[in-house]
Amino acid sequence: MLQAIETGAEYFIGIFQEGAAWFEGVVVGIVPLLIILLTGVNALIAFIGQERINRFAELAGREGWQYSFIRYLALPVVAVVALTNPMAYTLGTFVPERNKPAFYDSAVSFVHPPLGILPHVNPGELFVWLGIATGIASAGFALTPLAVRYFLVGLVVIFMRGLVTQFIVDRMMARRDAANAATA
Amino acid sequence: METLNRTLETIGKGVGGVVGKIYQAGRDTIDVVIRTVLPFIAFVGLIVGIVNGTGIGELLAQTLAPLASSLGGLLLMSVIIALPVLSPVLGPGAVIAQVIGTLLGTQFGEGNIQPQYALPALFAINPQVGCDFIPVGLSLGEAEPETVEVGVPAILFSRMITGPAAVVIAYFASFGLYA
Repeated sequence: MLQAIETGAEYFIGIFQEGAAWFEGVVVGIVPLLIILLTGVNALIAFIGQERINRFAELAGREGWQYSFIRYLALPVVAVVALTNPMAYTLGTFVPERNKPAFYDSAVSFVHPPLGILPHVNPGELFVWLGIATGIASAGFALTPLAVRYFLVGLVVIFMRGLVTQFIVDRMMARRDAANAATA
Repeated sequence: METLNRTLETIGKGVGGVVGKIYQAGRDTIDVVIRTVLPFIAFVGLIVGIVNGTGIGELLAQTLAPLASSLGGLLLMSVIIALPVLSPVLGPGAVIAQVIGTLLGTQFGEGNIQPQYALPALFAINPQVGCDFIPVGLSLGEAEPETVEVGVPAILFSRMITGPAAVVIAYFASFGLYA
């Protein structure tokens, strides 16, 4: 009888010990670097200042497809890295009305790919990256190659996403305008 | 004397400003770590404990690991998560992506999934990113209500295409990684 209770207690506490071991690994191994890195980047952004970022954003507001690279690649990256989630989306203010959904789609898709290198962009959602990353690290592999590729593939993906969403928005807006013209 | 005083004052103000900004950055950082990062680590820690300690982990390993060990499986995962009915529901706080990511992480850690699938997996768990936040995000960019009306479905449809496409791009970009 006593034996059974002891086994049960051991099983019960074992669940929490398992979690505590994981917690210790993350807090000791990852949080100190995160704190110093966050402090550094936050200070840097304070030095650069919002005004300079706004001036850059105005470039993306120009009409024309040749500014696509700025709208769906350069501006989302600057917005996310400098202003972080969710303030990044305020730079949509500088983008033409019909490009706003695609800009948002592009910017919001970049709030995780930099996490391996620049965790300040979204510390509250760190585990989108860290969940898989801790596993890779505990299997004995270096994380930097994965972090760098995550960042670079992120660039390709947000640009593609901006273009695809813009294509769909253009179709939908054209159809809506045609419907409005027909009823008017 | 006058110039020296002025110089000293300028230097003093400058240094004070720099120190103040860095100190404020430190304060903001500790705030974020205590309010959002540590609580989430505690939350995930409990889930990891339950999953590993009770043996649910074995069960998940048998279902998740094969799914995440092939391009087809990862594509299937991204298509399901990107469904326009599901993506806005799965979005908030990226909780789902973080939990699935952590569960996959334990499988990577135990060697049940080959490490070169880490990159496509990072995109497969995340095609819904921001889908819960579209109207708010667009209003932050001062979009008109008419734009939001078109923007929400446009982005949700777009994810059906770009979600799986991202997995494919990441799959090809992971050649040579951990090989």
